[in-house]
Amino acid sequence: MIAPARPEYRVVVVGAGVIGLYTAYHLLKGGFGPVLVVDRGFLSSGASGRNGGGVRQQWETQATVRLARESVAAYRRFGSDFGYNVWFRQGGYLFLASSAAEVGQLRSVHAVVQKEGLASRLLAPNEVPRYAAGLALDGVHGASFLRSDGTLYPFPAIWGLYEAIRSLGGEVLLGTEVLSVARDAGRVSGVSFVNGSVKTSVVVNAAGGWSKEFSARAGLAVVNQPSRHEILATEPLKPFLDPMVVRLSDGLYFSQTMRGEIVGGLTVPHPPGIGAGMATSPHFLTSMARALSTLVPRLRSLGVLRAWSGFYDDTPDGLPVIGEDPRLTGFVHANGFGGHGFMLAPAAAQRVAKSVMGEGTDLDPAMFAPGRFLGAPSPATVERLQLG
Amino acid sequence: MVNTAQWSGGREMEPPSSGAPRFRGAPVTVRPGESLVSALSRRGLPILQRSIRYHRPRAPFCGVGACTQCLVRVNGQPNVRACTYRPLPGDRIETENAWPSPTNDLLGVLDLLFWRGIDTLHGFRRPRSAAPVYHRIIRRLAGYGRAADTVPTTPVGAPVVRSTAVLVIGGGPAGRAAAGRLSENRAETLWIDAGPLPDSPPGVTALPRTRAIFLPLPDPAAETPFQLLASIDGVRAASIRARRVIVATGGFDAGLLFPGSDRPGVMTAEGALSLAVPGDAPPFARALIVGGGERAALLLERFGTFVEAVVAPGAIDPVVVERASALGVPLYPRSLLRGVQGRRRVRSAHVAHRGAKERFELRCDAILLAHRRVPNAQLLFQAGVRMHWRGAGGAYFPVIDHDLTTSVPGLFAAGELAGFTGTEAIEASGRSAAEASLGRPASLDALPARVPADGPHELEGYYRELLSGQFASGKLVACACEDVLLEEIRHAVRDGYRGIEVVKRYTGVGTGLCQGRYCLPDALLLLSILEGRPPESIGYITQRPPVFPTALSTFASLSDCAAPGGS
Ligand SMILES: Cc1cc2nc3c(=O)[nH]c(=O)nc-3n(C[C@H](O)[C@H](O)[C@H](O)COP(=O)(O)OP(=O)(O)OC[C@H]3O[C@@H](n4cnc5c(N)ncnc54)[C@H](O)[C@@H]3O)c2cc1C
Ligand code: FES
Repeated sequence: MIAPARPEYRVVVVGAGVIGLYTAYHLLKGGFGPVLVVDRGFLSSGASGRNGGGVRQQWETQATVRLARESVAAYRRFGSDFGYNVWFRQGGYLFLASSAAEVGQLRSVHAVVQKEGLASRLLAPNEVPRYAAGLALDGVHGASFLRSDGTLYPFPAIWGLYEAIRSLGGEVLLGTEVLSVARDAGRVSGVSFVNGSVKTSVVVNAAGGWSKEFSARAGLAVVNQPSRHEILATEPLKPFLDPMVVRLSDGLYFSQTMRGEIVGGLTVPHPPGIGAGMATSPHFLTSMARALSTLVPRLRSLGVLRAWSGFYDDTPDGLPVIGEDPRLTGFVHANGFGGHGFMLAPAAAQRVAKSVMGEGTDLDPAMFAPGRFLGAPSPATVERLQLG
Repeated sequence: MVNTAQWSGGREMEPPSSGAPRFRGAPVTVRPGESLVSALSRRGLPILQRSIRYHRPRAPFCGVGACTQCLVRVNGQPNVRACTYRPLPGDRIETENAWPSPTNDLLGVLDLLFWRGIDTLHGFRRPRSAAPVYHRIIRRLAGYGRAADTVPTTPVGAPVVRSTAVLVIGGGPAGRAAAGRLSENRAETLWIDAGPLPDSPPGVTALPRTRAIFLPLPDPAAETPFQLLASIDGVRAASIRARRVIVATGGFDAGLLFPGSDRPGVMTAEGALSLAVPGDAPPFARALIVGGGERAALLLERFGTFVEAVVAPGAIDPVVVERASALGVPLYPRSLLRGVQGRRRVRSAHVAHRGAKERFELRCDAILLAHRRVPNAQLLFQAGVRMHWRGAGGAYFPVIDHDLTTSVPGLFAAGELAGFTGTEAIEASGRSAAEASLGRPASLDALPARVPADGPHELEGYYRELLSGQFASGKLVACACEDVLLEEIRHAVRDGYRGIEVVKRYTGVGTGLCQGRYCLPDALLLLSILEGRPPESIGYITQRPPVFPTALSTFASLSDCAAPGGS
C-alpha cells in the first residue's frame, strides 16, 4: 500500500515491529478499529528482524516473569492462531555464573521463578554438561536452567501478524515515516508524513530504538536510550546444542537455530545513540569469536557466516514503558523493551491495547507506566537480569 | 580476474601424519599444490554433497570456496571446501550429510516425496503436541556437518599485522597496474590477493594467498583510517591498516537459473577452470558453454575438443564465433535453457531459440556458465561506498569520479569491479587509481570504457521468457545453498511481500553459505519481473561481513588488534 485508505483512524501505531504489530492485532481483535500501522522501513527492518529469537521466563522481577510466561504460551499457540510456524523450540535457557555474586543473582532469580510455579534449577558446575556438552567450564561457579525457555524464528511471527492484521481489516503502511504528531488542546489530533497526514486521537509509539526520537517529535522528552548491539551467525552444523547459553560476566549468549547455525552476541561498548549506524565492528567480531571459541573449543574452526547489528531501546530500570503519557492525552508508549521485546511482545502488547481501549491493566504503574520517570528521584523497582 | 581460488582454503587442522590422504577410506593421489576436487576429478566429476532440504545430489560448482556443493569433513573438522582444500599426507576425508554416500543417499527420497517442496513456514503446525517431534526431525535434516569431534591442537598462529600508506586489494590486471604505478612513485605499498602474486614490482610488499574478508567503515579521524581484516591460506589472520585503499577485486562468474540448474555437471566457468590443470583432461567430454563473451572464448580455448556447443542467452561475440568454427563447435545464439535431463549427472539439455516454441535436445555432460560477470563488491558495500545500478551490467557498481574516487574519501575502485571493460581500460583504471591515491590530478581525461549504465541486462528478457513458460515438472531451485524454489519466491510476491530484503527473509533466498553470491543477482531480476518494477527499485542487497565464512579462531586471534582506536 502506498497511501492510507482513510482520512481518519481510531488508532495510529508507529512502528511495524513485533510490538506495534501485536498491539494492532489486539486492538483489532478487540474491535477497536480502524487501525493504521506505519513504518518507515520494510517489514522487519528494525530490531524485530535482527534479534536472537531468545524467549526466557527467568527474571528477577515477578511481573516480568508473568508477562514472559504468558508470552511463552502465546508462542506455543502461534501456529494455530496465525497460520505461520515460528518453530518455537523449548530447549531451555542456561545461565552461567562466573563469580559468587553472580551465583547469588541466579539464586534470587530462581526464587522468583519458582514462586511463579516454573521448574527452574540451580546447577553446580559439574551438572552443566548434562544440559550443554562440550563447554570449557573453568571459571564457571554455577548455573541456572529452565527447560520451558527457548528460541524461535522471529520472521514467521512478523509475517503471521502482518497477515492477521490485514485480514482483520487493519492497514499496514510501509516505507512511510511519521514526521510529526499534531496536537489540539493537549490531545493528540493526528500524524503527518512527507506527503500527507491522517487524523487520529491515539498514537502508539512502538518505534523501538527510535522511540526517543519519535517521542521528541511529539514534543516529549523521555529517558529511553537506544544502544547498538551486534550479533553473528555461523555456518550450520547438525544439532548438538539444545539450550540458549548466557554468560553473565560478559554478556556472551548463543543458541543453535533450527537451521543449525550458531547465533549469538556479546556486549561490547558502543557510544550510545543511533548516530553511529548499524555497521559491524571488528571489535565485536573478534571479541565474540574469542569468547565463543574459548567457551566451546570444538567450535574453533567453525566459520562465521555473517554479522549484523540492531538497536535496543533501554530504560534506566530495565523495564519497558507501557501506557499513556501523562503529558499528552492519546500518546501511548509501547517501548523501552531493551533486548527483550520479542519474548515479551504477546503479553505486553495486549496490555498496551487494553490501555488504549481504556480497559485498565494488571500492570503496576510504579513499574511500567511512563509517569514513573517524571519527577521521581529513582525508579521503584529495577530488573537487573538484562543479559541474554 | 582475481580470486581464482589459488588459496589453500583450509581450516585449522590436526597436524598431518604420514601416508597418502584417504577419501572415504581409499587413498587418493594428490599432486603438489592440487585441490581435493581436482585430485578426485581425475576419476570423474565427484558428487560430494546432498542439498540441505531435499538431499538433491550436488557436485562441485564454483571452484572458489564459496558455494555449498563440495563440503567435506577433514580429520574430524566439518564443512571444509574440497575445491580449495589441498590435502596433506595422512588426511582422513569423509563426506557429510548423506548416507550411505552422497552418490546414493537414502534421504534422496525426500526430493521425490516432497516433489512440490517442503513448506516450513506454514507446515508442521498440527497437532500442536507433535511440535517436539517435528523439531527433532527438521533439526536433524538441517545443518551440513556434525560439530568437530576434537579441538584442533595446531594454533592458527599469531596474526600478521601491517600498516601501509597505500593498500592494493586484488592481483588481477587492474591491481597489478596500480601496484606498478605506485612502485614507480616509490609509495609505501602493500599488495594482497587471494591467489599467488608472482613478480611483484620493486618496493611493493606483496602478501599472496591473503583473502580480504572485512573492510569496516573507515575512521576518518584516525591516522590510518582503514583497517582490513584478511585471512592467509584461510587460517591465519591479518590486520592491515592503511591511509588509502585501492580495491580491484574484479568479478566472478555468476549462476543462472533454469530447470535443473543445480544438477551435477552444471558449474561456473571458474569452477570448470579449477577442476583440472591445463593439459589434463577435464572430468567431462561434451560440455555446453553458456555465454557468448570473453569468458566463453576463454573456455573454448581451454577445453576446445571437450566442448559440445555454445549456447548464449544473447548475441555471440566474433572471437567466440571464430574459435568455435575453427573447432567445429555449433553455436546457438539468443537461446534459452529450458531444462536438463539427468539426475546424478547432466545427460542432455533442452534448448529453445528465444521466442520460439519448439525446443531441441543437446547431449552434454556438463554445462559451463560463462554468461555473466558480477563485480566482487562486498568490500565496497562493507566500507559504505555508494553504489548504483548499471543496467547493462545487471548489477550494482561503485559510483566513481573521473579520478576513480568513490564516495568514501581515500577509497578507490578500479578494474572490472568498477565496471571497466577490456584489458586496456582495466589497466588504465588501475594506474589512474594509483595516481589518485597519491593525490595527483587524474591522468585520464575521460574514464575509459565502462559497462553501460543503461539497461536492460540481456537476462531480463531471458527470465521474462522463462517465467512465462510452462515447467513440466521438477523443482526450479532458485537458491541452491538453501534449496529455495522459484515457486516460493512467486508465492511470497503474490502474498504481498515485496523487495529483496523482505523476500530474502521470507523465503531464505540468499541466506546460505555463499551469502547470495550465486542467487541474489538473479533474484533481483526475477523479482523485478514478478513485481513489475525496475531492478534498481527492488533494493540493495545488504552485504554482511565477512566476505567468505571465516573460522572463529581466525577472528579470535585478532582480538587484540581490533580494539576501537587500537593500532
Ligand atoms: C542484536 C539483538 C538481539 C536481540 N535478541 C533478542 C532476543 O533474543 N529475545 C528478545 O526477546 N529480544 C531480543 N532483542 C530485542 C528485540 O528484538 C526488540 O526488543 C524487539 O524487536 C522490539 O520490537 P519493536 O517492535 O519495539 O521495535 P522494532 O522491531 O525496532 O520496530 C520499530 C519500528 O519502528 C519504525 N520507526 C521508527 N521511527 C519511525 C517513524 N518516525 N515513522 C515510522 N516508522 C518508524 C522502524 O522502522 C522500525 O521498523 C534483540 C535485539 C537486538 C538488536
Ligand atoms: S545460492 Fe548460496 S545463498 Fe543462495
